[in-house]
Amino acid sequence: MFYVEILSMLLLVLGLVAVASNPAPYYAALGLVLAAAAGCCVLVGHGGSFLSLVLFMIYLGGMLVVFAYSAALAAEPYPESWFDLSVFSYVVVYILGLMVVGLCFFEGWYDGFWVVDELKEFSLLRGDFGGVALMYSLGGWVLVVCGWVLLLTLFVVLELTRGLARGALRAV
Amino acid sequence: MNPYVLTTLILSLGLGTTLTFASSHWLLAWMGLEINTMAIIPLMAQQHHPRATEATTKYFLTQATAAAMILFASTMNAWTMGDWNINQISHPLATTTVTLALALKIGLAPMHFWLPEVLQGLNLTTGLVLSTWQKLAPFALILQISQNTNPALLTTLGVMSALVGGWGGLNQTQLRKLLAYSSIAHLGWMIIILQFMPALTLLNLTIYITMTSTMFLSLKIMASTKINSLALAWPKTPTLTTLIMLSLLSLGGLPPLTGFMPKWLILQELAKQDLPITATIMAMSALLSLFFYLRLCYTTTLTTFPNTNNTTSPWRLKSTQITLPLTITIILTLMLLPVTPAITTMF
Repeated sequence: MFYVEILSMLLLVLGLVAVASNPAPYYAALGLVLAAAAGCCVLVGHGGSFLSLVLFMIYLGGMLVVFAYSAALAAEPYPESWFDLSVFSYVVVYILGLMVVGLCFFEGWYDGFWVVDELKEFSLLRGDFGGVALMYSLGGWVLVVCGWVLLLTLFVVLELTRGLARGALRAV
Repeated sequence: MNPYVLTTLILSLGLGTTLTFASSHWLLAWMGLEINTMAIIPLMAQQHHPRATEATTKYFLTQATAAAMILFASTMNAWTMGDWNINQISHPLATTTVTLALALKIGLAPMHFWLPEVLQGLNLTTGLVLSTWQKLAPFALILQISQNTNPALLTTLGVMSALVGGWGGLNQTQLRKLLAYSSIAHLGWMIIILQFMPALTLLNLTIYITMTSTMFLSLKIMASTKINSLALAWPKTPTLTTLIMLSLLSLGGLPPLTGFMPKWLILQELAKQDLPITATIMAMSALLSLFFYLRLCYTTTLTTFPNTNNTTSPWRLKSTQITLPLTITIILTLMLLPVTPAITTMF
């Protein structure tokens, strides 16, 4: 279990390095898949199984799929992968930075993550789905505001990408 | 733009500011700020030319960074001190981070670099909304955290903004960039007095909003965005040309116009707090801003532009634009100084 948690954290950080080093969107999306999957495993390791599954479904299965389709529209003939020099230098710098920071802050394992898991194994109501229940009950009108914000974001995106040549983003 | 979409966006602008005003929890305040950012993005890009798109992108990136920093700071404070309350933010790292984030949101130096470029890419109406309405929500938060922030940081932000606003505006011929630097300088004055008397910050913000609205609305009626075109615009409405001159002098902070009121009260409070050097530096930096306001007065009203003899002056036609807001703000910009005691009781 210890090994699985360490492996998940390592893959999370490496996946984020793969995204942040700025390759072509295809490869960056691949890094995001790795990072999201590893992040979900980290969450599971700390007791947030519901949150982890929801993250997988919505983030990877929803948003990343849409992003992949949009990235396919902006196809490049020679996409930069992580082994082309311009991207590889960023990868090296980030990994070196990570090692430096890791050496500075290496203190040990912090057991006990009260964000997801207040009473460890002894509670019926876990932090993650308990929070969802609260969002729908006491959360009340703030949930309505969140729904409005999502609708607003839809209008914003549609307005920004309106039409073909009349849109702000694409001249195609 | 589709009128339904336009209504949705404008009402969402109102919703965002209202949410931030009404919240005591950092997350709800952050939501209000993000709603404001989202709602104004299509308004900024609605002309769909590359300059507007560039301005929109720059605005989005800076505001998103600032909002993320606010989220980090409030989470840090909740993690270490256990409190999500806006005015109970107490961990020094959290207060510094959130102050810098809010400074980035409104455009205080040294986080001001986005403001002139963004304002230049917009039309005058959207620029007006950006300079006035979008400052309200961050200032609501700034006023609430004022007692917990590092005084040295606030003083540095204030003095640097006043100086950068003055010096940066000296080299501008585009009016929107000039108004951006003027905005930076005024924000500096607002922040410098925040730690001593937040009521004066609010008073300065209100009067600044009035004066900037006057300038943007006047420029809209004159249909000019450069000093060159403003200099030739006097035949359109000579009355408005005179009033523009007086509004510019009010922006510069000259008595007996309204703009003198905040500067006077702030300098008085700084002197009472035993900070004569800070007060002197702020007053000197106001001279820099006054120089470019005076340059605008010269070219607009006080001198005739050296154009050739056979240029035609514009016909003096009745404007089809709504002039009521400009009427109200011009009167407020020029005539409020005698009622200073009444204004100070309102804040």
